[in-house]
Amino acid sequence: MFKTIKSKILIITLSMSLVLLFILAAIALCYYHDIKQILIDRTIIFTELQAEELNLDILRTEKNARDLALMGELYYKFDRNPKIAEKTIIEVFENYPISLGGGIWFKPYIVNPDKMRSCIYAYRNDKGKLVLDESFESEEYNYLNQNWYKEIMPNLTRDDNVEWSFPYYEKEGSDSLMITAGTAIYDDDRNIVGLSTVDWDISNVRAKIIKLENKLTKNSFALFANPKKDYIIVTTDPNLNDAELVGKSLKNIPWYNGDLKRTEYLIYNNKKYLPFEQELINGMKFIVCIPESELFAKILKGLMIFSLLIVLISFSLAYFLYSGLRRNVLKPIGALIAIANKIGKGETNIDIKVQSPEEFARLADTFDKMTKDIKTITKERERISSELTIAKSIQTSSLPAIFPPFPARKEFDIFASMVAAKEVGGDFYDFYFIDDNYFMFLIADVSGKGIPAALFMMTTKTIINNVSQIVREPKDLIEEINKKICSNNKNNLFITMFTGIVDVSTGKLYCINCGHNPPLIKQNNGEFKYLNMDSNYVLGVIEDAKFSIYETKLEPGDVIYTYTDGVTEALNADEEMFGEERLLNTINACGNSDIVNIINSIKSSISRYSGDIPQSDDVTMLAFKYNGVDGISGSDTSNEKTFKAKAVKENYKVFYTWLHGVCADWKLNEEAVNKIDMCAEEIYANVEFYAYGDETGDIEVTLSKISDEVVELKFKDTGFEYNPLEKADPDITLSPEDRQLGGLGIFMVKQMSESISYERANGQNILTFSIRII
Amino acid sequence: MEIELKPFGVSGLYVKATGRMDLDNAVEFGTKVKETIEDSEGVDELILDFANITFISSFGLKVVLELHKEMASHGSMKLRNVSETILKSFQMVGFDKFLVIE
Repeated sequence: MFKTIKSKILIITLSMSLVLLFILAAIALCYYHDIKQILIDRTIIFTELQAEELNLDILRTEKNARDLALMGELYYKFDRNPKIAEKTIIEVFENYPISLGGGIWFKPYIVNPDKMRSCIYAYRNDKGKLVLDESFESEEYNYLNQNWYKEIMPNLTRDDNVEWSFPYYEKEGSDSLMITAGTAIYDDDRNIVGLSTVDWDISNVRAKIIKLENKLTKNSFALFANPKKDYIIVTTDPNLNDAELVGKSLKNIPWYNGDLKRTEYLIYNNKKYLPFEQELINGMKFIVCIPESELFAKILKGLMIFSLLIVLISFSLAYFLYSGLRRNVLKPIGALIAIANKIGKGETNIDIKVQSPEEFARLADTFDKMTKDIKTITKERERISSELTIAKSIQTSSLPAIFPPFPARKEFDIFASMVAAKEVGGDFYDFYFIDDNYFMFLIADVSGKGIPAALFMMTTKTIINNVSQIVREPKDLIEEINKKICSNNKNNLFITMFTGIVDVSTGKLYCINCGHNPPLIKQNNGEFKYLNMDSNYVLGVIEDAKFSIYETKLEPGDVIYTYTDGVTEALNADEEMFGEERLLNTINACGNSDIVNIINSIKSSISRYSGDIPQSDDVTMLAFKYNGVDGISGSDTSNEKTFKAKAVKENYKVFYTWLHGVCADWKLNEEAVNKIDMCAEEIYANVEFYAYGDETGDIEVTLSKISDEVVELKFKDTGFEYNPLEKADPDITLSPEDRQLGGLGIFMVKQMSESISYERANGQNILTFSIRII
Repeated sequence: MEIELKPFGVSGLYVKATGRMDLDNAVEFGTKVKETIEDSEGVDELILDFANITFISSFGLKVVLELHKEMASHGSMKLRNVSETILKSFQMVGFDKFLVIE
């Protein structure tokens, strides 16, 4: 499953993202400290910014106090008009919106020797409006006894210093928790005559601290205090009670050690905190404690988010890569595979269209070209193949195929057969009268196979035919043939040939064996034996070769059987050859059968021997039987006559001529001849029209005179299996309008024959029937 | 096969063939006769002279049946000079029952 490009891409992408993750983790580890420092620095900056804000508030408050003090000095020195002073105080406060309230306070009896207390005080009421409050001057309040007064006044110097009180709760006026900042009012000699105060609203500060603390991590907390005077202003530590601790000593803060500036971390409630301390301009301190885990959790969180992002990016990368690949590579590959499969199945009319990517377009073009080439090659091959088939059929049809070839010549019988191998071969046979008396027959095998052998065979056949029409003397004839073949043989092919020339009037036989298989001969009613004679050179090699002729005399009934090496070299499943001995035994087992039977027996014997092994060479045989000049052969075979030819319309006339010839020989009466003629024609037509479909094939007809009363007809063909006797008889009682045209013929054969039978054997349809002749 | 075709009377056709009426030429014979009938329009009497027919096979019989069917629709067909042998062939397939043989 990991062999496809798809999975490979997926694995590559995933491992890439894994590697990326590892790198990231390594980097994170290396820079962990730095990142921590960055986070710490960031927090420091953050707290600094917050401190600056608080500083600003402090500065404003102190400035406010100084403004008031200046106003107080003007009041003291020049115009002691309280109305103007009051108005001015309110105007001053309007410039400092964060101040809760404040005023000017004079030392006892210094403004008016009759009046112990002299002050002007204003504050923001709950509606935010500045109002004057005269109650502060009262006996009851007695500011001189107030803690803030006592805390601030003694510490004021001639240096315009601002002093801060402890936090306290003021019931009068604004009714709030506050810290008061105070600065001195001087006379012309810079003696302190009073002080001005501004109240800083602690709840306001507290809100600010909480707001800022909220901006930090969940469990962080803050402390706002004045270590110089050792009091707490605000604490947000959830373990402590803020309200109780306001104004109390810093000792109440368990984790505060006096100086956190140099403290890297502190352990508080078993938790590690990082403290961030900022000192403000008036000596107050602002401290934030952040749990280490929470501060650095951001790193982990960041890392995780980053990792997740990488994984996501990797996956989407993988997806896009894969989908891109799918569209641009896998799909075209799939299409090409499909096309290749189609081409493999022989389909060549395929429009191959792949436009992108360019590599595949090129590949597709190559495919296209290949398909076209295949088409061309296939066409070419088909053409060659069909030409070969035609060549084979031309070659085969150039051999005489109608038997008996000379029905009128009673002196001899001749029969030949060639079963061609799949490939075009070079076997051939031929026979003809070279004059009225001399009959020549030959069987030959051209070396090699295929078209060259076939062409050479045709040339040779023509040469032999031509020469034999001119030269009579056998020795001269064969030498002339050899010379002619040699001069036409540029490709160094050669021919083995056995030729017989018979004087049919005397039975004198001249045999010339040119390197061919020795023929079998049966003489004087004896057995067949191999003809012992000198063999000559093969034809087509030595131009001036001399040939020796073997002469013998045939008596009526003598048979000579010739064949090519396709017979003896036929192989069985064990790759053993049929051999000469087996051939001899087979032929002798035929006894006194006529030559058609002999050849057919040998043919079927070879076919049985070879079994399913395909025939590798042409199997060609030719047999000649001498009957004597008066046609009486001495044997009873004249009561059996065989006709063999291609079952085509053109041969029908030959067939019935032969048929009538045999009937005339046997002196059959007109009615019998008519019956035989009608039956034979019907079966011939059947074979011609139906046995071989669109092809053509042989028909073999044997006529046997079984007795003086009965003649038997046997029809054989090697076409499709078909039993004509199964055809239903037509109804001959029907009116002509209803009569069918078909089925009449076989019906007539059945009517006229004594007995009729069909069998399928050795790939042949065999129809046998007998006709009464008397 | 020699085929002699001769019109006679108002709308008659006389046909005399010589030779075998078999696989080789029965179809040719039938086609020729039928074409002549079609060309000359309105042949209602056809005479087939079998004097010179030496042999008739099933193919010949089929042609005779075809011609008979053809003529039966608009006329008549007669056979003349049918030999004993050929008559036997007709009898064998039951044609003698409807053919008019003189």
